[in-house]
Amino acid sequence: MSTASPNARLVSLTVNGRPVARLAAPRTHLADFLREGELLTGTHLGCEQGVCGACTLLLDGEPVRGCLAYAVACEGRAVTTIEGLDQDETAARLREAFTAEHALQCGFCTPGMLISARDVVERLPDADDARVRVEMSGNLCRCTGYVGIVKAIRRVLDDRKAG
Amino acid sequence: MFGVGARVRRKEDDRLLRGRGRFVADIALVGMRELAFVRSPVAHARILSFDIPEQVRRQVFTWQDLEPAGVRPIRAASGLPGFKVSEQPPLAADKVRFAGEPIAVTVAATRAEAEDIASQVIAEFDELPPNVDMLAAAAPGAPCVHEHWSDNIFLETRVGQSFEKDVAAAPVRISRSIRTQRQCIVPLEGKGLVAHWDRQAEQLVLYTATQMPHIVRSGLSECLGLPLEAIRVIAPDVGGGFGWKGLLQPEEVVAAWLCLHLGCPLRWMEDRREHLVAAANAREHHYEITAYADADGRLLGVDADAWVDAGAYSIYPFSACLEAAQVGSILPGPYDFPHYRCRTFSVCTNKPPIVPFRGVARANVCFAMEQIIDAIAAAVGREAWEVRLLNLVPPEKMPFDNITGKHFDSGDYPESLRRAVAGIDLASVRRRQLQGEPDGRLVGVGFATYCEQGAHGTAVYHGWGIPMVPGYEQVQARITADGGLELRAGIQSHGQGMETSFAQVAHEVLGIPLERIRLVHGDTGLTPYSTGTWGSRSMVMAGGAVATACRRLADRLRRIAAHLLQARLEDVTLSGGMLQSGQADITIAEIARTWYLAPQLLPADVDPGGLEITAGYKPKSDHGTFSYATHAAVVAVDAEVGLVEILDYLVVEDAGTMVNPAIVEGQIFGGVAQGIGTALYECSPYDDAGQPMASTLMDYLLPGFTEVPAIRIEHMETPSPYTEFGVKGLGEGGVIAPSAVLCNAINDALKARGAVVTDQPVTPARILAALRNARAEPPP
Amino acid sequence: MKPVDFDYVKPTTLAAAVDLLAQGNGSVKAVAGAQSLGPMLNLRLVQPELLVDVTAIPELLGTREEAERIVIGAGVTHARLEDGDTSERTQAVLAQIASGIAYRAVRNRGTIGGSLAHADPAADWLVCTTALGAELLLVGTAGQRTVSAAEFVVGGFETMLAPDELIVEVRVPRLSAGSRWGYYKLCRKRGEFADASAAVLVDDARGFYRCVIGATSGRPIVLDDSRPLSELAGAAAVAEALSPTALAGDAFAIQVHAAAVRRAVRAATA
Repeated sequence: MSTASPNARLVSLTVNGRPVARLAAPRTHLADFLREGELLTGTHLGCEQGVCGACTLLLDGEPVRGCLAYAVACEGRAVTTIEGLDQDETAARLREAFTAEHALQCGFCTPGMLISARDVVERLPDADDARVRVEMSGNLCRCTGYVGIVKAIRRVLDDRKAG
Repeated sequence: MFGVGARVRRKEDDRLLRGRGRFVADIALVGMRELAFVRSPVAHARILSFDIPEQVRRQVFTWQDLEPAGVRPIRAASGLPGFKVSEQPPLAADKVRFAGEPIAVTVAATRAEAEDIASQVIAEFDELPPNVDMLAAAAPGAPCVHEHWSDNIFLETRVGQSFEKDVAAAPVRISRSIRTQRQCIVPLEGKGLVAHWDRQAEQLVLYTATQMPHIVRSGLSECLGLPLEAIRVIAPDVGGGFGWKGLLQPEEVVAAWLCLHLGCPLRWMEDRREHLVAAANAREHHYEITAYADADGRLLGVDADAWVDAGAYSIYPFSACLEAAQVGSILPGPYDFPHYRCRTFSVCTNKPPIVPFRGVARANVCFAMEQIIDAIAAAVGREAWEVRLLNLVPPEKMPFDNITGKHFDSGDYPESLRRAVAGIDLASVRRRQLQGEPDGRLVGVGFATYCEQGAHGTAVYHGWGIPMVPGYEQVQARITADGGLELRAGIQSHGQGMETSFAQVAHEVLGIPLERIRLVHGDTGLTPYSTGTWGSRSMVMAGGAVATACRRLADRLRRIAAHLLQARLEDVTLSGGMLQSGQADITIAEIARTWYLAPQLLPADVDPGGLEITAGYKPKSDHGTFSYATHAAVVAVDAEVGLVEILDYLVVEDAGTMVNPAIVEGQIFGGVAQGIGTALYECSPYDDAGQPMASTLMDYLLPGFTEVPAIRIEHMETPSPYTEFGVKGLGEGGVIAPSAVLCNAINDALKARGAVVTDQPVTPARILAALRNARAEPPP
Repeated sequence: MKPVDFDYVKPTTLAAAVDLLAQGNGSVKAVAGAQSLGPMLNLRLVQPELLVDVTAIPELLGTREEAERIVIGAGVTHARLEDGDTSERTQAVLAQIASGIAYRAVRNRGTIGGSLAHADPAADWLVCTTALGAELLLVGTAGQRTVSAAEFVVGGFETMLAPDELIVEVRVPRLSAGSRWGYYKLCRKRGEFADASAAVLVDDARGFYRCVIGATSGRPIVLDDSRPLSELAGAAAVAEALSPTALAGDAFAIQVHAAAVRRAVRAATA
């Protein structure tokens, strides 16, 4: 994270419900701001090209690419990372389903995968498997072949419908 | 319930699901600075000079700084006769040999600032003609990548003899030129490292995203001239490897030296662009194959020349020739036929070195050989699976020594094929083809059968003479005073779930609950030497060592128990973590408490080694294990735009005894997904100047959720006669067959139009070109 | 990779924004969601001195329905359009287009104006707004002007935006209830840029017909509106349309673009 820049300024955000104010150069993206400044290392950087989805986090409750959102542009907004979803009910169900369905191997894509999966579960309760695949297609996994992840999301969607 | 064969949940998952894993990028040390590498913009050139602005001069380092300090080039020679040795200075010395080769390193407080400095470092080059295509590079008169060589061939190997007169009367003769593309490996986590000098331990400590910490340590010792005990290499959580993290990297050597030189911790994180343009690549082969068969389709002989584009340097430890030489020994695949000849060429080019990517060489030879089988079937007018069945090694011949001396341990190869034919419902696909699709697409079905050597033994690797030969795999096992179990293994688990599967093995032997078993791995300071995790070996080798160590601990426990229970040794049994003799019993925890805290109660002849042991293990056969599978797929080809949809994908596999079926399936699913990438999407092309054309994940397409179908798996489970529990290595298997299966299925779909694709990836452009050519030249 | 060390401002008025752009001599970049610019910044393919964040300018943020058209603020995200009121014909078409752009996490930040200004030939809005007959309201220090989407793009990654101009609004004529829309894009992989695309609008009630080829190396190509659609969908017509572009003579490109046109026509006439 770059702070030595003459362009650096104080950036104030709410991170996982907690106010944070930290000096950052405008070129610092949200993922670096959180990882290097707040030591919230659950947000992973897989490409910094906006493709892989490993850095996906919630900005005002919506999933966004952490590598394509500059921290300075998020002034005053609320950020939730994987660490902030420890007590979240949907995330808890997904964690349970992910482990039951062997939906992770190395675990590097997993935080971003869970953030996107949570969005799918909450936004599209009626999604079938084909829709789940389309909606999740912005998150890459190199280990699992996606089979377990689709099953895990399916399991949570079905469980929620069943109540 | 929780031992060998149980589908238990992984111990690793909770930390990873909460974002609490610790990957190398997550490690922050006080005073840590960051590195950025300046990389060659040209493929082949002499470096004339560097222009480095004075204000940043002290933050920039080149070979001119490293060489006088005694840093040595990376050298990975093979003992095979005729091998030409390359020397790779970790920062280019007087010459660059591929675009992306590191030529300087910069250090600053942040990565961004290090990149700012890197952008100011300008090198002046005298450009030389690049060797971009392997066939041209191998031709006489090509400019030499290494000027003191006589040509660009690292190594030529020959297997078998010419047999033309033996097959002169063969009714079927099939010749094919087949090309497989250069790939990048692309684990989701790139390479990365943190290097620092531990002042108390007086050790260089390198945290690095590696599959083989002990080998990296050996390589660092060679390049830095430090004794091994002064180096500790730690692999933290590693975000996938697949082979890319199975080598000593120039960046590791540079960072390690620089942290000693500067006296501060340093971090380097490979970014995705560096990975795609400058990291070791994989899989670029060219084949000229001729196969001979009788009128039924029975193989009579295979004659092949194979070229592997090995890139500019021989990588440590696997060398530049392992892949091509492996082609020579495994091209016959799972088939039994009488005549075989293969020449291979490891060609040096002005591209990044190649590294063994999951399913190394096997994916390529399967792609080539299985196309040949389908072509033979077409020639003799039979279903391709029938021709496969005719040629597969039958179960009654197991164990079987094939034409290149590979020792297939066990299994029923034809049965995997028969089950795949039934499972994919070939008959219904054929009916569907006759009816045609409502949307006009062309449906096709394809099969491929392979066998996969894993857990290669000492003799196999000794033959290569490379800087690494696997011997006995060792594991330390220690029962703690409260009855827990600590396992220490030198392999590295980076997604394979070994923290779970090794615990299952230990639980199977000792009955200690999984939650009380902990695996320490990937740290040279804490674990026995190991060549690491590669070649589908860890479950067989280190898993076998876990079982061996636990059995020996069980024996010691029984001896102490016999004394404490006042029973005869032969009457004491160990089951469910409890030692029993008749009605009397004692827990492992109670025995452990006795050993550690009440030694006065121990028998006089107690083994002084106590409840801690290091055991070494090798399978009974040095040839390794042979898993096998048949994959089958149904595809729909859109002949208007060239898109391929995978309608069904079935794997019928046999990896011996499964320790954890969920993990086995996960490995297969992931392997198949990577194989789909190889088949249809992934490619790292180079232009005529040797410039890599795919530098982002927008250009280098990885298969995603919508490109990988809901893969189905059917298990067979034939134990290996040579290993603990009969397990076989299977980590690479999934990736071997998909490109062959999909190519065969696409060709099956296209055959109605007389079109054939032979090169991968099978892109829309290639499919449409094949269709255009077929229209231009109607089939005979 | 990390971007160069740029400065950043987030003006709250349109006037302030265009003034900042005007002062920059080209080293200033306007940015909204940064979903196109971000990767280029991270790769240092773009090295600005100043980013002007336009997402706090009220004129860019709203969507409003007028009698003859839907007016979309340039800073409206793809996701907002995707989630729009699909009971209204025009918005339903816009939602359908938006839902196919990249991935949800990208759509949550990326904006229609940003996509148009970036002018990647393969991008969805470029070809679709052209086919819909949309107009863009551009505002600069010298005032405002309205241009058609078709004329806005002058080449691959090139537009008629002056250095001090911003896209403020995208004005999409309301489609008739019975209008028919077809859009097809050929992507090797879901969410990635298209190798070929085409959009067709058949709006009999308004007498508006248009067929546009996208994912060329340059600007979207509007096919001659006077010919019947079936003729436009022929390979010869597409080859002719592509002949002035870098794709001329590229058998694969001609074939897949022709297929895209055919499929878009089929979708609009089925």
